[in-house]
Amino acid sequence: MWDQVKNALHQSTTGFVTRLASLLPGFVALIVALLISLVLAWIVAVVVRRLLASMRFDERLARWGLSSTAEWSPWRRPTLLVSRVVAGVIIASGFLIGIAAFDSDMTSSLVRSIFAYVPNLMGAILVLLVGTFVARFVSRSVLIGAVNLNLGYARLLGVGIKWLVMVLTIAMALVHLRIAVGIVELAFGILFGGIVFTLALAVGLGSKELVTKSLERDAGKPPAETVEEPFCHL
Amino acid sequence: MEVDSVAQQSSPSIEQIDRADLVVGILADLSQDIVASVCEDLLTIPGSPRIVVLHSPRISDSASAGSEFSMQDPSLFLIPWSPQAQSSLATPVEDSLAAYHSIFAIAERLGARGCSVIASQLEDAASKWVCRLTEPLLEMSFDFVAPCYARRKFEGLLNNSIISPLMRSLYGKRIQNPMGPDLGVSQRLFRQLLTADQNGKLGTRGMHLLASLVPEGLCTNLQACQAYLGTRIYPPVDWTHVSSLIAEILGPVFLTMERNAACWQRTRFSSPVKALNEPRPVPQTTGTVEIGRMVNSFQLGIRDLQEIWGLVLPPASLLEIKKLSRLTPEQFHIPDELWVRIIYDFALAHRLRTISRDHLLRSLTPLYLGWVASYARELETTEATAVEQRLEHLSLAYEAEKPYLVSRWRWPDRFNP
Repeated sequence: MWDQVKNALHQSTTGFVTRLASLLPGFVALIVALLISLVLAWIVAVVVRRLLASMRFDERLARWGLSSTAEWSPWRRPTLLVSRVVAGVIIASGFLIGIAAFDSDMTSSLVRSIFAYVPNLMGAILVLLVGTFVARFVSRSVLIGAVNLNLGYARLLGVGIKWLVMVLTIAMALVHLRIAVGIVELAFGILFGGIVFTLALAVGLGSKELVTKSLERDAGKPPAETVEEPFCHL
Repeated sequence: MEVDSVAQQSSPSIEQIDRADLVVGILADLSQDIVASVCEDLLTIPGSPRIVVLHSPRISDSASAGSEFSMQDPSLFLIPWSPQAQSSLATPVEDSLAAYHSIFAIAERLGARGCSVIASQLEDAASKWVCRLTEPLLEMSFDFVAPCYARRKFEGLLNNSIISPLMRSLYGKRIQNPMGPDLGVSQRLFRQLLTADQNGKLGTRGMHLLASLVPEGLCTNLQACQAYLGTRIYPPVDWTHVSSLIAEILGPVFLTMERNAACWQRTRFSSPVKALNEPRPVPQTTGTVEIGRMVNSFQLGIRDLQEIWGLVLPPASLLEIKKLSRLTPEQFHIPDELWVRIIYDFALAHRLRTISRDHLLRSLTPLYLGWVASYARELETTEATAVEQRLEHLSLAYEAEKPYLVSRWRWPDRFNP
């Protein structure tokens, strides 16, 4: 009986060691791939950082109306953000290459599915970039127009419009990423409706006097006396 | 080709005329009597030049007036004419500029030696005022006759605060109304403008024709003069569209500034242009004016537009503007030096496209209204001579600050006080 136990132990130990030994080249390949990708990521990040700095990328981004990217960038420098994202992508690629070195069906399908997801990721990033640009542009238009109309709640309008577009953009990006589509749609509806309701309330309360005047005029009451101004511009 | 196509769109009767010495386009809504008086004045021009007067059918809807003059004197043709129809989205300023373009194109087709445009109504007009726009072109070899109106202190504020002193500082000639709207141009100048327009230098549809008059003329050493016409009746103010007006007028001015940078950077001092007659002083209204709304608009701009102005103005200017927000309407005053630097910085931002050009120009509105409030508070109880002195002081400030503009224009990143 003891011989059988010894045999079983021997076989399981041998099998474990053999399987471990067969995985070792994969581990080594993973470590090598990671090391190479780390070095490559560092070099590329330095090159990208210098290139963007020479192009005055941070200032250009502010001019294009994307200065908000600085707010969530390390040290408030979008150049650093871009270089770190590029480095991260290279390290992740190295990791995926290393994983693929195990040559098992599972890792291959994992790599395939991750690479199949890349177009969605790129699409979502593009949607986010365009949405941020549009949000900033529309928000500025509304803000300047409202200030020129002497509306006291101009900033609120500008910020409200900006967040309307941003919420729409983020929802579109999340749907593009296929992340909890149902929840995103529901949350989008609630948030969008909430912002519109808040704006309507704020503008409605702010325009109370305007509406009163308008109703008075409609009711046939004489409007308040307007002062004739002597100014001519052109 | 383009000149012909524009000319062909006018009334068929213009086709029957093969040549003219002078073309006069009437864009203003003048009564038949005034049009008749204009024609009578034109007939007194020495040398009996062949004159074509184009007038809108709306202002004298009977064809009898035209035929009457044609019959009376074969050298003058009064022709009903309407400018090329613009799209329904075109603004009044765009329509008006397209009309100038059409008149110049007709003058070019007829080989006219000069062309005048009457675009405003005058009250207390000088005698034979239309001849003052035309005679310098035909008899004195001038290329550009700018109008000069009797100044009321709160009229033509956009011109007085920005356009006139800016053009004086840039191109070195003291012209009261560099963008007309009444004006006379020689064959050389309107040909130059039309050619530049065809080459795309002035933008599409002749949009920058009026803003280009002074730069095109003075940068090519053409001769300019100004003639006193009388007291202009200004259109009423639509306060809700001040920002659109600023964007439509200043955009072309800044664009021509960009195109003629090599020319204006060489100009150091300004000199007066020949004035063909002196303006008559007009009685000024004295008494307090309501500036509270404009000061409020300025303060609202400081509160809400700082983020945008921060992209355009250097920190020193921004700090000075912030200090102004603490002043009451009674103390409110924008120093000329600050105002001039603001305009120069906006011109530079327009060139660098720091933000969308439309946003940039519209965001100037609260600052402009602030300047108007400051100017009104200063001059509300003063007489005509004080107005001239005040505007001269502002023009000198524009000239004094020109090195600042040149430095920032040449080294926008390095020179940032």
